[in-house]
Formats: sequence, structure tokens, C-alpha cells
Amino acid sequence: MPEVVVPIGPHHPALKEPVNFKVIAEGELIVRLEIDIAYNHRGIEKAAESRDFVKVVPLLERVCGICSHSHTTVFVKGIEEVMKVGVPKRAQYIRTVIAELERMHSHLLWLGVAAHEIGFNTLFMWTWRDREAVQDSLEELTGNRVNYGINEVGGVRRDPTDRDVARVLRRLPVLEERIAKYRRMIAHEPTTLARFRGIGRLTREEALRYGTVGPTARASGIEYDIRRDDPYLAYDEVPFEVVTDTHGDVYGRTLVRIGELLQSVGIVRHALENLPGGPIKVATPRAAPRAEILSRYEAPRGELVHFIRTNNTDKVERLDIRTPTLANWTSVAVSLVGQHLADIPVVVAAIDPCLSCTSRVTIVDREDRETKTMTWEELRAHGMRFYREKRGV
Amino acid sequence: MTNGLTAQEVAATMNEFGLVDQVRSNRIRIVTPLPRVREALERARRVLACDHLVQIAAVDNRKSFELIYHLTGPHRTVLSIAAEVPRDRPEAPTVSDLLPPAGIYERQIHDLFGIAFVGHPDLRRIILNEDWPGDEFPLRKDWKPRPNVFYGGVPEEAK
Repeated sequence: MPEVVVPIGPHHPALKEPVNFKVIAEGELIVRLEIDIAYNHRGIEKAAESRDFVKVVPLLERVCGICSHSHTTVFVKGIEEVMKVGVPKRAQYIRTVIAELERMHSHLLWLGVAAHEIGFNTLFMWTWRDREAVQDSLEELTGNRVNYGINEVGGVRRDPTDRDVARVLRRLPVLEERIAKYRRMIAHEPTTLARFRGIGRLTREEALRYGTVGPTARASGIEYDIRRDDPYLAYDEVPFEVVTDTHGDVYGRTLVRIGELLQSVGIVRHALENLPGGPIKVATPRAAPRAEILSRYEAPRGELVHFIRTNNTDKVERLDIRTPTLANWTSVAVSLVGQHLADIPVVVAAIDPCLSCTSRVTIVDREDRETKTMTWEELRAHGMRFYREKRGV
Repeated sequence: MTNGLTAQEVAATMNEFGLVDQVRSNRIRIVTPLPRVREALERARRVLACDHLVQIAAVDNRKSFELIYHLTGPHRTVLSIAAEVPRDRPEAPTVSDLLPPAGIYERQIHDLFGIAFVGHPDLRRIILNEDWPGDEFPLRKDWKPRPNVFYGGVPEEAK
């Protein structure tokens, strides 16, 4: 069987941002994976060095369209620690609520994308419908569906009314019931079982060795969650469990995310029911003293890190961002080896990459120098056909 | 989860590499000379169970570059090992063989700061676009876009 190179990317609407993979395959089996994430470098770290602490927050909100609250929170909590500013409790609780609503909308979105990649579009429609309830809550609390603009150094910018809080609380039981239903569905539906179980396996040792973070790590049995390991915001006061699983495959990653959805519902409920009174922000100095801080945050995709160095001015000297997706890439390259070409969409989607993908796949046959081109849609269709013929799903 | 590392524990194992400093409750920092970084990381992994590389932060402090290796492990304490890279000889030993996740972080730093990681198996471009000039490193403090240089994308005359 000749070895073929399958370039995927850099453009594809199924994933959110551009990335290019070169998949080296022997027949249907993947031998190696190379990636190029150059397509979306916007120079935000450089731009952050020239904006003061007021102007840099909206910039960082735009690092990611989904984890926008994660990036602003990890940054402002770092700066607040450097400035030695005590943020009011109410602000910390509001930040926690937004953070968990963000995790819910991200995980529901992911569940829909994963279902879509295996051709289970009904589930995709359902989860995205439920996600709307979360988006509505975010909009009511912050004024925005995405890029909430709630954070600033020293606190939050908007105080929810009792009516806002009651409305968000009222939606939670429905969401809880829907999420529990998906958990039962995933465990019984032949399509999800055939396409998720045993796919993209990562043992506990591999997950540790390749520095995996977030739900991907927790699905391989690693209890690594910054909310518990290095508590911030209100996480040391709100009860929740770190969800883990031992399957170590796409199925396990799905179960972990669904478990986390239920935990997030609990955190949002607890935080809103016990929302402390008082102010939502404090006045902060304009400048931060010379210092260095590693600010960590459990984003929906895993540990997010901002390394911040300040220099006695109102701007950062250096901001180094390590996103969870970058940490998880190494493990994707490993978990795809030995898998079928048909499994690429779902294994890549399983880490919930916050980067994007492809619209064409070129298959180069080295022996007869023939080049075939496949779109991601065709690759997805190929995956579904492959499993229909082989396993009857 | 086991208990966090204490500065005393870290000092007992890592003292020979440099001064150990407790930055806050779960952050410990060591500054070590660049040639000893590999040894220090290996020791931290073996003796202090620092098996998870959180990040390699890179900073340009104008006189030199700094690399800060942030490690953690089952104890959940972050151990940061900092080393200085001379500006006139931007080279550092790779640690990608000791800690595989370093591979992708080193490629990123190589791209943006122009620090070469000696012994890295595959130090190709990863962050900047493929037609970006090879001798310009945008995260260096002295970098300014030059007016007559093509930085990739659609050429001016084709617009």
C-alpha cells in the first residue's frame, strides 16, 4: 500500500479558525500527523504591550470567540494580584457565573459539532437549541451573547438585577433535564457507541507524557482541574466535583463534558442563589508595580495560562498566552496514529480545537503521482460510509 | 492530590542550580544558568515529580532573552525554572526529548523570538505565515516593521 499525504486545511467552516494538517497515511491508516497553525496569528501578544490596562481587556476578549471570558478573567485576575487589589466578592461570584455559563455554551456547542461530524445531526440540532437558553442567560446578565465585556481590572462592569438572576435560575432545571437526557442517549445510541468508543485512545500515561489538559486529560483519568488545584474567583466556596473518566477515548471525552455540564449548572445555581451583596468593583491604581505572574484558569478546553510581566507602568511588559488547544495538539498527533482516515474529523473535534480546519483534502498517491482532492464534507461523508459498510451504522 | 511542594523541599533538591524563591503560596521560582536547564528540569521531574510542562514563557528584557519553564505535577505547585539567553547568541538546548510538549512551545518561541533550540528534531515555522521574512522576529522589543519589506499576504502591487 503506498503512503499518501493528506493535507487538510487551512479553511473549513466546521471548525472555527484556520489550521493545516498534513496527514501521512498508509491506505486507510494514519502513520503521522503534522500541523501548521500559522493562519490565524494576529499579533495580539505584541499589540497587548502597547495598550493600557483599560484598553487591553477588550483586545484580550477577542483572542477567542468562545472562551472570551476566560481570556479576560485570567488576565484581570493576574493584574489584580500584582496590584494587590481585593476584588469585591459579588464581582467574583458574577465572574464565576459567567465563566460557568461560558463553559456550558462551549460544551453544548462541542457536543453538537461532534454529533455533526459523525452524521448525527438530530443531536446537533438539539444541543444547539439548548445552547440558546445559555446564550440568552449570558445576554441578560452581560448585554452580549459573545464577547461579554463584563470584566475590567478591579471588578465587573454590570450588576445583574434580581429579575435577571431569577430568569437565569428558571432556565436551569430545563437545561439539567436535557443534559441528563443526552447522557443517557450517548450511552445507548448505536451511532455514538460505534463512532466514539475506542476512537482516538489516549492512555493515562500518554496523556501525562504529552501534557494534555482539560476534558481530554480528565477523560484519561487525570484529575487536573485548575478550579480545584489553584482556586480563583469563587471556586473555593462553591461546591463542585472534578469529573473524570477512564475510557480515554472520544466516548470518555464526551462523558466528561456532559458531566461537566451538569456540574456547571450546579455552580451557576449555587453562585446565583448565594450571590453576595455589595459593590461590584473597586478603584485600582493606573499602573502595576514591577512583577511577574503566571495566571492560570480552567477554560472550557482546559488549562489556560497567561504569563504576565509588569514594569511600573500602565501597560504590560510582556504577555505570553498559552492556550489549552496548543497544549492538546501534541496528544492529537499521537492519538491519531494507527487510526483510520475516517476518524480524523471526530478525533480532531474531540479535543474541541479552538482553531480551524479545512475545505479541501488532497490525496497524493506517491506511486502513480495521482492527486485526488476531497473536501472536508467528502471526508466526513467518507467516514460515515466507511462505518456504515463496516459496522452497519 | 498530594500536598504542595514547600520551598524547603525544593531548595533541598534544587539548591545547586540557583536561588530558590517562594513567589506565593503555590509558586516557587528558581533562576539557573542556561547550560544547566536540562539538568534542572530532569532533576525536578525525577525527584519532585514535576512531570507536566505548563508553558515555556519567553521574555525579551532588552539586554537578553529569558526563558521561564513552568512545571507542575501531582502536588499542583508550579515550579518555575528561569534562565537567560544571551542576545548575541540566541541559542538554548532543547528539552523536547525530556518533556514532549516542549516541542511545540519551542517551535513557537523560535518563530517569534528567533531563539534556536539546539537538538530540536523539527524546528519548522509554526506561528508566522510561510512567506514571513526569515530574519525578523516580531516579539523582540527592538523589532519594527520595515517599510520596504514584504511580510506576506497579497503583494502591494497586486492589490
